[in-house]
Parts: sequence; structure tokens; C-alpha cells
Amino acid sequence: MRLLVVEDDIRTADYVRHGFIEAGHVVDVMADGRDALAHATRQNFDVLIVDRMLPGLDGLSLVRGLRAARVMVPVIFLTAVNGVDDRVEGLESGGDDYLVKPFAFSELLARVNALARRPPAQTQKTVLQVADLEIDLTRRSCSRAGVNIDLLPREFTLLEYLMRNEGRVVTRTMLLERVWDFHFDPQTSVVETHISRLRAKIDKPFERPLLHTLRNSGYSLHA
Amino acid sequence: MHSLLRSTPFRVAVIVGATVLVSLVIAGLVAVQLIQTELAQRMDRAIADDFKVIAEAYGEGDTVDMIDSVTSHAAAAPNRDWIFVLMQPDGTMLAGNVTRVPAGGGWMTVPAAELGLAESAGRYRLRIGDVAGNRLAVGQSFAESGDIVRLALGSIAWAGAVIMVLVAAMGTLIALRGRRRISNIAETMERVGRGELSARINVGPRADDIDLLSRQVNAALDRLSALVEGMRQVSVNIAHDLKTPLNRLAISIETASAAAGGEPLVGLLGQATSEIAQINATFDALLRIAQIEAGARRGRFVPTDIASVLARIADAYVDVAEEQRQTLVVQWDEGLPPIEGDAELLTQLCANLVENALRHTPPGTQISLTARNADDALVLVCADNGPGIAESERSRVFERLYRGDKSRSTPGSGLGLSLVKAIVELHGATIVLEDNAPGLRVAVRFPR
Repeated sequence: MRLLVVEDDIRTADYVRHGFIEAGHVVDVMADGRDALAHATRQNFDVLIVDRMLPGLDGLSLVRGLRAARVMVPVIFLTAVNGVDDRVEGLESGGDDYLVKPFAFSELLARVNALARRPPAQTQKTVLQVADLEIDLTRRSCSRAGVNIDLLPREFTLLEYLMRNEGRVVTRTMLLERVWDFHFDPQTSVVETHISRLRAKIDKPFERPLLHTLRNSGYSLHA
Repeated sequence: MHSLLRSTPFRVAVIVGATVLVSLVIAGLVAVQLIQTELAQRMDRAIADDFKVIAEAYGEGDTVDMIDSVTSHAAAAPNRDWIFVLMQPDGTMLAGNVTRVPAGGGWMTVPAAELGLAESAGRYRLRIGDVAGNRLAVGQSFAESGDIVRLALGSIAWAGAVIMVLVAAMGTLIALRGRRRISNIAETMERVGRGELSARINVGPRADDIDLLSRQVNAALDRLSALVEGMRQVSVNIAHDLKTPLNRLAISIETASAAAGGEPLVGLLGQATSEIAQINATFDALLRIAQIEAGARRGRFVPTDIASVLARIADAYVDVAEEQRQTLVVQWDEGLPPIEGDAELLTQLCANLVENALRHTPPGTQISLTARNADDALVLVCADNGPGIAESERSRVFERLYRGDKSRSTPGSGLGLSLVKAIVELHGATIVLEDNAPGLRVAVRFPR
């Protein structure tokens, strides 16, 4: 993927750039909002990573400018402020996702991967399949190796989200936001509990595990 | 209309109008009195003149001429607004246009009946005197002067009526204008109350008391919003200045642990990372509380279904409780009315209450979260049968960073309940901690 990182803190920018290069992406870094707006309108990027506080032009105005110029590239905001309204403001200005500093690179990578455009066919499918695990979105049913598995509604949503991101890392906060619509950090093990319950249903009775835990970063569903 | 009648400008107009009216009535009465006195004097002079003309023109023995004169005078007043009578001392009529006169002499005021006239003719002013051995009476009816007084009174009454109408019209006009200006102020203050600190009152060019007050309010709002903006800026700056180094620290640790690969170092670095996460969580919670308390979020309130919030809480936490060998029961009345609020914050409110109970009670504890429709409020209750909180501690648990003696060793930032209180107050609700005998009962009332 081709990424543009707009960040004025040199160490953060370097760190992010190295991380993405290691993950096999092409990265441009810019420190000034005005320059970034010009650069992003002229060239095609897959995802923009934009700090909200920037010299020249702040992140919100940068994204508003892009959207006004009909540049629809997915944008993820980085910010120091995890204010109640800041996320809403960011999304209203045309941002697609939001990440609060300090963040782990794995979290940023997971979110960027999830944001990158996927082939449209994937979203219209009514049956999702990973190895021998299968869910039917219209009948809300789940089976593995031909064996029916009963899932509670929230377990189904959780599994659906994991399957749509097959092979990608999905972090704990991403799950909290997308599955439970929780935009705060619970002090109890909500995600861990539900993952272990789901795992007991879809993995335990079978030989090969599909739902993997990645230490310090999140979960991934793959064969 | 009711509010218009109660408005200050209208009341002032009515008071001023009433004062003007009372002054008019008093002035009118005085004027009528003066007119009556003046008219009476003029009448007396006219009567005296006529009396003198008739009396002095004829000497003794000219009785026939005098009779002619009185007869011609009387003939000139056929409707008896003037009366002229000449009679002998024994009462025999010689000439005149009435048949009787009262006894006595000099000036007198008598009713028409005493002159043998109809009662409706009113009263007469008379002068009776001896002229050449006969009695001469000259008099004038009050009818004319009564007409003048009635005319004067009528004019005053009309003027009063016109003033009343004008006062009512002006009062309404001024009240309408005043109301527009006052409701402009009220509207602005309401917007400010909702958190829109940039709202200002439109000040006209008149520089009257309302404009003066508006300017002062605007100046106060300028200062207020400058302070709030300053605070916001400070918190953003603090956030930026503290979080950037925190971020770099996290980067360093992450890079080091990636490079090291060795177990002991990785373990230590992992601990350091989680410490940073903890610092960050506390910091975020503090900022969040400050922002909620600033009230800006109220602008985003919409009717929110509390049942769907509770359903998601049940969804997320029933299994967590089970895992910790506790029981969580979430219940709500059917058909709960929606409350004006912010779904995200209400979710966090419920989550914090439930997590608080989950973390501070031992295995085997029963926790319940219920929403009930009371008479005048929606009541949200989170109760447990755990150890509870001592009464002396109950008011302090809402303080920022306060942690009870028992909970100092358990994880948590000491901000969960402060955040709960901030959210409760943002929604205009109240929160009380009670003894659940045993356990803790937290009740939040959302008034309707």
C-alpha cells in the first residue's frame, strides 16, 4: 500500500514510517498541513495517517480540504486528545478512524489494514468462509466442518467482524468499538471473556485452531 | 398575550396611562368648578344689568311704561330662559312671563316650581327688588350654563377615552418591542447555557438601559469564553506536551523490546508499557471529566432509548461476571420513555457502575442493574450485596482520584465514579449512594 503520514513530531513520524516499511508498505512523510494537502490532492494514496495538531494547517482542516476537493482516500487521525467530542469532530470532518496517542504500532497497523479499500465483492457476500468455518449472514447461522454451531447474537457479530478481516490483526479496542460500540476502555476483561467463549464454540471441538491471539496486539482469524 | 400583559413595559405604560388619566380627571373637576363660578358671576352681572335698565329707566308714576318694558322684555324670552315679572306689593301681576315669584327680596336661587314652571326647567337665579312701589323680579335659567359645563365635562371624558386607547396601543407596542429585545437576550443566554459560548446578544444603536445591560452581559460572556477557551487550550497543550513524550517513551520501549528479544528484558519492558498505559488512562479520564463538566456535549443530546443501552451492557458484562463467579442481572421496564441524552456517555455511565461493582465485590456477589419508570423520573439502580461502602466514605467516592481504603490495592484509576457523577450532572440527573443492607445501592434519577 502507499501511505502518507502527516506528523510534525520527527520521532513519531520516523517510528511510524519504519514500521510501515517493515510491513511492506510505501510511506511518504510530511510535517506541514498545507504541504500535505497539496501532496495528497496531486497523488494517489491508499490511506492517510494525519496528526490533528499540525503547523500550517491543522489536521481537521486538512481533511475537510481534501473532502471538498473530492479526494476520498481513507483517513485515520492521530491525536493527543481523547476528548469526548474530538472523535465525533474528526469523523464529522471526513475522517474514517481515530487513534489516540500514545499508541502501539500494532494498533495503528491493524487499523490501517482494516481501512484500506477491500474488493467490493467481499462486502456483498452473504456467506463468509475461513477454512472449514462458515457463517451465513442472512440466516444468521454458523457451521464448521458441516457441524452446526449455536452462537448468541453478539458472538455472531464478533465472529462476523473477525471473518471480514480474515488474516488481519484485529485489536482489542477495534473490537470494543465495532462490536460493542464502546468508545472507552473497560477496566474488566470484556473482550477476553467473549473471545474465550467464542473460541470454546468454534475452535475447542475441532483439531485446528482458527482464532489466534497475538500477544500485546490483538486477535486474528485465519487457517 | 398573557406574557405580554405581564411584561414590564406594558405595566409601565398602564401605570403612566392611569396617572395621566387621574390627573386629567382632577384637572377637569377643577376647571369645571372654575367655569361654574365664572358663569355664576357673569349671570349675576347680566341679571343686575337688566334689573338696573328696567328699574332706572322709569321714575315714580311711569308704571304703565314700566309694564310695557317688562312685557316687551318678557316677549323677547318666550321659552323662559329669562324671566321678567312686575307685580304690585300685594302680589297682583302687572306684567311678566311667569305667574309666581317667591316672597322676599334680593338675590336667590330657586327651583322652577316656585315660579310656577315645570320641574324640568331646572333652577333659576333671581333678583327681586322694589321699584317705584312695585316688586320687580329678573331672573335667568341655569340651563345654558349647565350646557356649557356638560360640554366641558364631555370634552374631558372624550380626551380621557382617547388617552386610554393611545396608552393601551403604545403600551402594547413598547411591550412587543421590549419583549423582542428581552427574548433575544433570553435566547442568547439559553444558547450559552447549552454550551454555545460564542453566542452574543445583538445590541442596537439606542444605548438605553437594555442595550447597556446587553453590552455588559456580552462583555462578561467574552471574558467567560476567553477563560474557557484558555482552559481548553491549556488542557490541549498539556495533553500535547505530556503525551508526546509519553508517546516517544512508549516508542523507545517498544523498539527496545523488539530489538532485545530476550525474556527478562522483554518482561520488564512489558511492565513499563503497561505502566504507561495506566498513566495514559488516568490522564484521559481526567481530560474527559473536565470536558464533560464544561457541558459542551449537551449540544449533541438526542432522545435516547435507555433499554438499548442496558441491552448492550448486559451483552458485554453478564459473561464477564459469570467468569468471575459473580451474577449480573440487567432488567428494565417495558416501554421506558426515551431520555434526552448522549448514548455513548450513558453507556459509559452504566458500564462504570457495573465495573465498579464487579471489581470491588468478592466472588458469589449478586449484582443488578435496573431501570424503572417512576412517577416523575426514570430511575436507574445498580445494586450489589457485597461489602458496601461505609457511610462516611460515600460522599468522598465521587472526588477525583479518591480511592477507598479497601480498594487501594485493586486496579482502577479512582476516576470511574467521578466520571459517572460528571455524566449524571451533564444530564441534569441526580445520584445517591445508599446502603443495600448488605451491599451498595447506587440510584440515578433522570427527572422528566
